[in-house]
Amino acid sequence: MNILYADNVRIARNADLDQVLAALETDLHRYTAETAPSMTFLHAGVVGWQGRAILLPGLSLSGKTTLVREMLRLGATYYSDEFAVVDNFGMVHPFSRPLGIREDSTFAQTKYSAETFGAASGTKPLPLGAVVLCNYEAGARWKPVSLSAGQGALELMGNSISIRTKPHHTLRRIQKLVKGAVFLKGARGEARESAASILNLATTEIGPETE
Amino acid sequence: MKEQQNPKARVDCLSRKFGDEILVYDKQRNIGHCLNSTAAAAWKLCDGNRSTSEVAGILTQQLSAPVDESLVQLAVEELAKARLLVEAEAPRRRTSRRDVIRTLGIAGAIALPLVTSLVAPTPARAASCQAKGAPCVSSTQCCSGNCNTNSGKCH
Repeated sequence: MNILYADNVRIARNADLDQVLAALETDLHRYTAETAPSMTFLHAGVVGWQGRAILLPGLSLSGKTTLVREMLRLGATYYSDEFAVVDNFGMVHPFSRPLGIREDSTFAQTKYSAETFGAASGTKPLPLGAVVLCNYEAGARWKPVSLSAGQGALELMGNSISIRTKPHHTLRRIQKLVKGAVFLKGARGEARESAASILNLATTEIGPETE
Repeated sequence: MKEQQNPKARVDCLSRKFGDEILVYDKQRNIGHCLNSTAAAAWKLCDGNRSTSEVAGILTQQLSAPVDESLVQLAVEELAKARLLVEAEAPRRRTSRRDVIRTLGIAGAIALPLVTSLVAPTPARAASCQAKGAPCVSSTQCCSGNCNTNSGKCH
């Protein structure tokens, strides 16, 4: 039996060592996201597109990773399928762990590298271009509405890991992050079609970054 | 019954400007609020010394458009409902949005005050969930929302 403790709190107890190591990885990610002093972590998939970051915030099982995967297939650069990491200047940094794709009803994840989908992983921080808030609805067509900066910031706050523990820093970084960004919200259908629509819209709405 | 107090914004909340909107974070209740331009403008003027009619007068000057007191009253009620004002001692009358629209006309120059609220997630809730059979110590970790604490695994 393998048992994992964080200080005196039991995190995992399992005969399968891989399961316990996966729990260790998850706990380390959570701890890093919660306590990183100079960065704010938002729960979101992130891709780079034309020199800007596109954020796909959402809770677990909202389809973030699936959408990120389809965007990678269309030429986007991989930043993360889990966290948008935001610095004091509002720039988005990569957190490019392998994509964890849930492939069956057990919610178990299989790990894939970005290269599997023909994509490169981003290394440089990017300014934010767009935040796309979407939920899957069978048969839906992507017809988003725009949100104001304040409404969009509230949505990002709802996906921040440290808002309760470090509200000052979190709000300040979100304020820097959203300057000049567009916020789109709506139901989406199949990931492949939605990814193409989102990237098309992002191209016209945010345009390429100018040096 | 006591005199109705002038509205007073709480000073123990964090706030940040986003254009003409304000994002307010209530640390005591762990709730974020987005105040639209009208609610934000009214909130900034609620200092406990000004009446709603005085706030309406100042907003009329600031916004270069007539602001009816009923609009400020509606803003105050929205802010009170979100608990962003210091508790009033007397119950406030309920202003109907429909009545305000009727007073101002449908195409009023000023947006109706609106406060949108969202409960801040706990770190565990904001992180990805665990698959069936994965180790867990609490149900919030599991995608299914069900951790069997005897086996220490997600259902």
